[in-house]
Amino acid sequence: MRSNNLIILLLLLPAITCCGGGGGGGGTTPKTLVSLAVSPSNPSIALGTTQQFGAIGTFSDNSTQDLTTSATWGSSVTSVATISNAAGSNGMAATSGTGTTTIIVASGGLSASTTLTVTAATLVSITVLPANHSIAQGTTLQFSATGAFSNSTTQDLTTSAAWSSSVTSVATISNAAGSNGMATSVAPGTATILAVSGSRSGSTTLTVTGGGGQVNVLPVTVNGSLCSSGSYFNKPCVSLTVCIPGTSTCQVVTDLLLDTGSYGLRIFKQALSVSLPQVTVGAGSLAECVQFADGSSEWGPVRLASVILGNEPAVQVPIHVVDATFGSLSSACRNADASPATAGFNGILGVGLFTHDCGGLCTSSANNGIYSACNGSVCNGTTVPLASQVQNPVALLPQDNNGVLVQLPGVPLGGAPSVNGSLVLGIGTRSNNTPAAVTGYPANSVGEFTTTFNGVTLTNSFIDSGSNGLYFSAPASLLPLCPSPNASFYCPAATTSLSATNTGAFGSPSGPVPFQIGNFNSLVRTSNRVFSEAGGSGIGGFDWGLPFFFGRNVFIGIEGTSSSQGTGPYWAY
Amino acid sequence: MTKRNQVITRCMAMVAVLASSQSAHAVLGGSAETITADRKALQAVHRATTPHNGYTVEEVVSDATTVREYVSPSGVVFGIAWNGYVHPDLALLLGSYWDEYSAARRKAARISGRTRQQLATDNIVVEKWGHMRNLQGRAYVPSLVPAGVCIDEIK
Repeated sequence: MRSNNLIILLLLLPAITCCGGGGGGGGTTPKTLVSLAVSPSNPSIALGTTQQFGAIGTFSDNSTQDLTTSATWGSSVTSVATISNAAGSNGMAATSGTGTTTIIVASGGLSASTTLTVTAATLVSITVLPANHSIAQGTTLQFSATGAFSNSTTQDLTTSAAWSSSVTSVATISNAAGSNGMATSVAPGTATILAVSGSRSGSTTLTVTGGGGQVNVLPVTVNGSLCSSGSYFNKPCVSLTVCIPGTSTCQVVTDLLLDTGSYGLRIFKQALSVSLPQVTVGAGSLAECVQFADGSSEWGPVRLASVILGNEPAVQVPIHVVDATFGSLSSACRNADASPATAGFNGILGVGLFTHDCGGLCTSSANNGIYSACNGSVCNGTTVPLASQVQNPVALLPQDNNGVLVQLPGVPLGGAPSVNGSLVLGIGTRSNNTPAAVTGYPANSVGEFTTTFNGVTLTNSFIDSGSNGLYFSAPASLLPLCPSPNASFYCPAATTSLSATNTGAFGSPSGPVPFQIGNFNSLVRTSNRVFSEAGGSGIGGFDWGLPFFFGRNVFIGIEGTSSSQGTGPYWAY
Repeated sequence: MTKRNQVITRCMAMVAVLASSQSAHAVLGGSAETITADRKALQAVHRATTPHNGYTVEEVVSDATTVREYVSPSGVVFGIAWNGYVHPDLALLLGSYWDEYSAARRKAARISGRTRQQLATDNIVVEKWGHMRNLQGRAYVPSLVPAGVCIDEIK
């Protein structure tokens, strides 16, 4: 059957292609085609993919010409592959079954052929490169898709795969001929770039940095593209780049909680692909247990990372790699979070009032439950010099190191699906972080000031972007609690306007803060996830969580540094 | 092991936890007799004692955390409160209530974004709050709180 087809093709092709040609004419001697070649030679491709063939003619004057579009193409076994003679796709072979077929091309009375083998190999996976890349807003990046097949071969699928972007408001990607796989950034955020071929797909993350090229700005999305999907409400997310010190081996990490209530960078092991060097203390590997006020805890080794914030120079800083399987859990970390899914984020960027997460206490106290030295599975409490403690990376910047400015837009009552803002590094170090029309409020040595609300003075109060609501104690007559299961949130019948007074930790200054509390159950029943009027019950101090930041410029001054707003620790807003 | 020895063992474990201050605790719900024995056994430990209307507060200070025990006139520890860089080891402080607290904690749904945890079991209430460098909390046995004492005095 196959040879019969081939014979017919060989007989027909010259007849077709020679019509009107070869007659010759008077005048100058026309150059004649003396040989014809087809490329590639004897290719092998997987079923379901395509192969572009080309025909090159060599003429009597030794010139060559690409005859792909003018030549006539044929395939001997159309049940294996067909080949196109249509304008725009001449020479493109499409597979239809496994086996071999002879691809024939004819032009100017000559013909050439090659064997095309179509393998039964199936596509196993698709790799999209470059992986987890970061580009500036308004720039482009070419992605490639490589298919891995069951017979251990690979094939470039860039032009045949179907490309898509999960968030087209962050980046778009082309499926147009000639630009397949070319991504164009639109706005700061993160998008998943997907390449699909048949039933297989491959993806990677593309992060678009913004700030209009400003060195000291990190985009912040509250429940936006920098957060993992399904994030809890009022979750501010940032991304940054983590590199192995002294190398260019880096990765972008997204879904990091922007937390002005803690100090230092913590990233779950599951979100880290770069292998960072261990920080040691004495003869042991340094590990840490960090407890949070909700009773949760994070455990894992302290490792040295080169961290890039925005477009600032990289800083080398010990970070907390959260890994509940490291060494053995200390008693303070019995319930350590096992995964990002448990915790609700890939990690935490703590850019609060202090440089170290423990500080002086841990330089002299070994058995407080925070730092441990581990040898194998044996971990014992240890003292840790300040330089080896987990640190707020902002404090280590060559400049812009005296604090941060958190800028988030106002959010209308009823909420929004997400909002975008900025984390600006430094206070008064550049034109984009110069305090204007704000007041500085000193904090004490543990990061607290005083809030007076409803006639009660609360000395343990604090401002914390990592808290997702305004949490404080109010009588039920003022703010009734929600019915179960949201009984720790407030559910007033109507949105209630209130006011509290903040006072610096040492008695001055003082100033009012108006705020509103809405019906939490009504808010979360909508599809919105960002709410300025979300609040709940609290004990102790007034917890000025994320709603405090909406519509304000909030400066956070690091201990021992100065600006026009005073010497840290302080807040200014 | 006798009951008294168990208590002493627990207290010795607490000595290890709060090593630098060499202090010790009675456990939540501990009986008057246990408290007395505990105090006698650990006479050398420094602790502040503050009388209040209807109860006494024993303060124990370690490097990282200050723990306050609320003791009824009959010598029963009806509540504890703390603040500091870490939450104290409640496995030691809750005594016989540890198991029911642990079970309740395992069942409790995570409420992300909160700086507060509140758990109530049949017998005890455990609450945590605060922020890095000043974690705070309290645990109390409602049935043991003396008449006339307000819960919010435990802080």
